[in-house]
Amino acid sequence: MRRHRRIATAVVVAAAMTLAAGCGRDSGGSQDTAKAVSDGKATGEITVWAMGTEGEKLADFAKDFTAENPDAKVTVTAIPWDAAHQKIAGAIAAKQTPDVSMIGTTFQGEFAKTGALDPTPTDLFAKDSYFPGAWDSTVVDGTAYGVPWYVETRGIYYRKDLAAKAGITAPPKTWDDLKTMAKAMQDKAGVKYGMNLQPGKTGSWQSVMPFAWSNGAEITSGDKFSFDTPEMTEALQYYQSFFTEKLAPTNLPEGQLEPDFVAGRIGAFMSGPWHVGILNEQGGAGFADKFAVAPMPVKKTGTSFIGGSNIAVFKDAKNRDSAWKFLQWLSKPDVQVKWYKAVTDLPAVQSAWTDPALTGDANLKVFGEQLKDAKAPPAIPTWEQVSAAFDTEVEKLAIGGQDAAATAKNIETKASSIGTGS
Amino acid sequence: MTAVQEKAAGEVPLRDTPAPDRRRWRRAVTGWAFAAPFTVLFVVFSALPVVAALVLSLTDLRSTDLRNPFAVNFVGFDNYTKLFSDELFLKSAGNTLIFVLVGVPLTMVIALAAATGLNSGLLRFKALFRVGFYLPAVTSIVAIAVIWRFLLDPEAGLLNNLLSLIGIDGPNWLGDSSTALPSLIAMSAWRNFGFLMVIFLAGLQGIPGDLYEAATIDGAGRWQQFRSITLPLLRPTLLFGAVVTGIGYLQLFEEPFVMTQGGPLNSTLSVSYHIYNQFGFGNYGYAAAASYVLFVAIVGLSVLQFRLLGSRED
Repeated sequence: MRRHRRIATAVVVAAAMTLAAGCGRDSGGSQDTAKAVSDGKATGEITVWAMGTEGEKLADFAKDFTAENPDAKVTVTAIPWDAAHQKIAGAIAAKQTPDVSMIGTTFQGEFAKTGALDPTPTDLFAKDSYFPGAWDSTVVDGTAYGVPWYVETRGIYYRKDLAAKAGITAPPKTWDDLKTMAKAMQDKAGVKYGMNLQPGKTGSWQSVMPFAWSNGAEITSGDKFSFDTPEMTEALQYYQSFFTEKLAPTNLPEGQLEPDFVAGRIGAFMSGPWHVGILNEQGGAGFADKFAVAPMPVKKTGTSFIGGSNIAVFKDAKNRDSAWKFLQWLSKPDVQVKWYKAVTDLPAVQSAWTDPALTGDANLKVFGEQLKDAKAPPAIPTWEQVSAAFDTEVEKLAIGGQDAAATAKNIETKASSIGTGS
Repeated sequence: MTAVQEKAAGEVPLRDTPAPDRRRWRRAVTGWAFAAPFTVLFVVFSALPVVAALVLSLTDLRSTDLRNPFAVNFVGFDNYTKLFSDELFLKSAGNTLIFVLVGVPLTMVIALAAATGLNSGLLRFKALFRVGFYLPAVTSIVAIAVIWRFLLDPEAGLLNNLLSLIGIDGPNWLGDSSTALPSLIAMSAWRNFGFLMVIFLAGLQGIPGDLYEAATIDGAGRWQQFRSITLPLLRPTLLFGAVVTGIGYLQLFEEPFVMTQGGPLNSTLSVSYHIYNQFGFGNYGYAAAASYVLFVAIVGLSVLQFRLLGSRED
């Protein structure tokens, strides 16, 4: 299966190569400017690619849009997440893109750099209506390509009852608070591990960066990486201390976190909004009262990570104007709330968060507040590769005992050899 | 039909028969017409991509150039020199080498033992064993991964539970960088030996029984018979098995992909997995170069095996 897919990519690339007679990558390139979108209702067929649950549910959901725009038709193709990157890359090479596609935030830089994405028409979309961290993830070289669709961010889940048993009644507010709580739960409330943090593996950078950002560190400075800084090192040191002080497990088997948290073997962990539902389901009746979510603890700031997905229009779209109108509809606050009710994707549009569906849940409200102070990695084409190297170094830090300064230095060296792709 | 006509024409050259080269041409056209569907598919989907990948490996094509292939530079052998200073590639090459060096002999020995057992009169319920041994080879790797992850689970796994019965505290097999690769080797050997066993079994059954009878009369024991009759006569089958298994293990991909994602600490990253990742990161030129290095390694290993195991004139 997989090998076939690779061969398919090779064929597409080969087709592109046969065209590549003359050579020379032009440096810089001209700035893209957005063209205006026509007035009136959307018409014609709008082809959309979407991944995961979004791909399954969007076709049904778009019926409300076609009710408002009777001459338009939305055709959704569902794509599995792990095939998404290659499928979009192949479509770009063959100039056979759909009108609209969901673009994972980590793909954004790469696909925008190909020049295949249409710049966001600023007359249709107001930057300020989105969470700033989410909007920033669409921006490449000063131009926005696409709009944020839904978001997620990270907070600290902790067992309220066990914290109280250990004598802690307020949610942790600072780095020190978090550490104190983890220790106290271990010493006084009988939990095995006071805190769970990802000890490496795919995506562990998403757990590390909030601490680094809170401490004032940045991923890039200008067009260079800036991993090797005192702020970063200090954050890594703090992160590592949870493992060296035996507050966090280094080899928790997959799928063990939730049952351990429910059983009181783990006192706290860091995760995104999807865990609220999982915990309520696994914990059973009454468990919802036993845990709470706290925003990221503050060092200099309380910055968290913002993820989620963007949605964009391709330059080769056959039905560009209607495609943008569809995205405009998806960005309406009331549509965003409806979409949340349909698939529990959190709205990227700030004003949608005033709806009782979102404000009614105390834990979700914390995430809503956290989204105002959350950052995404810079939208650079090589980010996926850089973050993979980052993850390996985090693993060495957490499990292998590599010291924090060396980790910061290694990430910097590896990232620099990969480059920012510009 | 054509052959008969040609022979007749050859014997009795007549003035009004078509010239021989014209006839040959017509025959060639017929031949090509039959071969065309396959040839076209082969050229378009196999030969061209292979050549294109070679060209690709000499360029710096990245995913960001997809829409504008004119931006691509020919960089000569830069990708190849970069490979051998790439820490990750060297790591993956080392892992793959260990996998081949340990995995191939292990799989072959188990397969041969199973085949010999099934071929001898010692075992009962042969059909059951034959099916049981072969089953993993036809089972989806995803289903296998689920079972093996359960077996190797550090807390609830069967293996560690058995070990704890005799007082050993089992490791986190897949979560520890020193045991992850051996775990995958064991799993692959288990998964692949059934296929080899069937082939070895066919080979064993091709050995004439009277050779063994004669050897028994001469007073040769079972072990001596195995060494002096079975192994030499099985050599072509063993060669086939070694080459096929060697190629399969050099291309190791599915096991780490479904079980460990190359981790922990890249201890199960294989060359194919590295190539897959690089394609994923959009480094097409670089990934193509790595593919060619793997290709050369496969050819090299196969040649070596033919040298070592191939038929000798004795």
